[in-house]
Amino acid sequence: MVVSFKPIRSLLQTGTNTGSRWFSYVGLGIGVLLLLCSIQMYINIQQLLGGESQRKEGSDFISISKTITNETMGQLEKNLFNANDIKDIADKPFVEGVSPLTANRFRVQLSAGDIIPFSTDMFLESLDNNFIDTVPPNFTWKEGQDYIPIVFSSDFLEIYNVFAPGYGLPQLSAETASQVVVFITCYGQNGEKQTFRGSIVALSDRVNSIIVPKNFLDWANNKFGNTTDVKASRLYIKTRDANNPDFLNYLQQKNYKVNKDKTKFGRVKQVLQGIFSGLGIFGLLVVILALMLFSFYLQLMIARSKDNLQLLLMMGYSPNWLSKNVSKQFIPVYVLVVLVALALTEGMQWAFHHFAMFDRPELSSLLHWGVLSTAIFLIGLSLLTNYRMVRKLLYKLV
Amino acid sequence: MQLQLQQVLPVYFDENHRTGSEIWRQDLTFTKGEYIKIVAPSGSGKTSLMHFLYGMRNEYNGNIVYNTADLRNYTPEDFAGYRKDHVSIVLQDLRLFPEQSVQENIELKRQLNPFHPAEKIREMAERLGIGNKLASKSRICSYGEQQRVAIIRALMQPFDFLLLDEPFSHLDDKNSQNAMQLMLEEAKLRNAAIIFADLERIDWFPYTRIFHL
Repeated sequence: MVVSFKPIRSLLQTGTNTGSRWFSYVGLGIGVLLLLCSIQMYINIQQLLGGESQRKEGSDFISISKTITNETMGQLEKNLFNANDIKDIADKPFVEGVSPLTANRFRVQLSAGDIIPFSTDMFLESLDNNFIDTVPPNFTWKEGQDYIPIVFSSDFLEIYNVFAPGYGLPQLSAETASQVVVFITCYGQNGEKQTFRGSIVALSDRVNSIIVPKNFLDWANNKFGNTTDVKASRLYIKTRDANNPDFLNYLQQKNYKVNKDKTKFGRVKQVLQGIFSGLGIFGLLVVILALMLFSFYLQLMIARSKDNLQLLLMMGYSPNWLSKNVSKQFIPVYVLVVLVALALTEGMQWAFHHFAMFDRPELSSLLHWGVLSTAIFLIGLSLLTNYRMVRKLLYKLV
Repeated sequence: MQLQLQQVLPVYFDENHRTGSEIWRQDLTFTKGEYIKIVAPSGSGKTSLMHFLYGMRNEYNGNIVYNTADLRNYTPEDFAGYRKDHVSIVLQDLRLFPEQSVQENIELKRQLNPFHPAEKIREMAERLGIGNKLASKSRICSYGEQQRVAIIRALMQPFDFLLLDEPFSHLDDKNSQNAMQLMLEEAKLRNAAIIFADLERIDWFPYTRIFHL
């Protein structure tokens, strides 16, 4: 059946309520704009504050230590975490994983050989690989191997670069630092010593330490420090949310020290996400409101054209065909409204990236695909709701 | 192709109406090619019967069956097909789109399932004497003219049954005969039946059966 809808269009009296129709279009546009902007900003925050170097598998990693007070000073046992402490923390529902930071129990000296005339006493720590943000495949050690891979804190490199010129040492870029071979000398209690070669295989933003493979440190503590039961002075905790009030309360109650800055950072992020979630929900409400307003307009239109529509149905026009064609009339305007909102969102994103974020590489000037698919979803949703309503009203007229 | 009435009586009629009626509470079968005349005084339910047959209302007891399907079981889509392809009607109250021209009114029906090409509209309008009215809005046409528009509109589609509900109430004898002639020709073209309900007997309708409502 090739039936033209053109002669029928004039039978649908839009009459005097053009104003309310445009009002609902504008409302829909504002709602869609708010919703799309909120989604885009939400994604921006995720990308800005939740970069790969800070988070692994979407969790927060925090290091905690026992607060050293005047009373506990000098009592090593009280300032270290024992197995019970670790088990207690690991059992908490808000904790996804715990790993002790184990330190060396023997003297370690580091020298840079002939290239950089530099030598210092230092410390080594080990941590479960899962807790390190950057673990290259060669971060392993086997007994008998005289080469030790090191994961080095990016902060330490920065500190080194600050004081190096004062000591006549060369400043190092991250790339050069990883090429420098250093000599690590371990001293045992009975005067024995052994020298290993080492090099930086990765820089870590998360762990403020010098990390060596765990099996190496366990072996070395046993050999040079004569101890197998090494208690941890720091614990790394993996948690879904570092700002979980239960978690923070627990730390406070146990008098554990936590990196405040990290939780503050998380809190800021949480507040921002909250604001944009709120805005998004508000936008969604406006969209729903606009769709409702539009449905009232449609109902009014159908009520006003009731006689004509009834006559068409009486003449043998299919109610399904009529509903489809009546709702099709609004496709161009819906697509236009959503496209305008998309264009404005894109402008907002470009301006935000360019002027507020100075083209930071984590962000894109283009819209996230999630925003685009939301826009398509909204067009589909409005057309579907229209079609269903028109169809329902027309079937009543038959 | 047949249209059956099985013990039909409007729900708003009491059982007295059945006495003397040759239609209500009867079992009747109308087949293609027949010319049925229904003579019905005012208030005897003539328009109700036409509306029931066309599926516009269903406030009746009994059943109306087209071929083998009971109209009660029709979906809105089924009715659309029924009215588009099988049954056409000239209603007593005409029901034209007042703001559309005569041409547009007829074309709206024709495009649905064209039996005739668009040129046929002008030809029929000329023949019934409203050729000069095609561009006028139907609401400014006289009743007689509107009645002829409704008749031409009904003839634009294929049909097995043509239902006429007092189609000549506003026409003089000459125009009525003219229109009847056209409808008879069109019915013959389709080998269709005409069910013609009117207040009294009209001599120029060559009925094959007559019923008193």
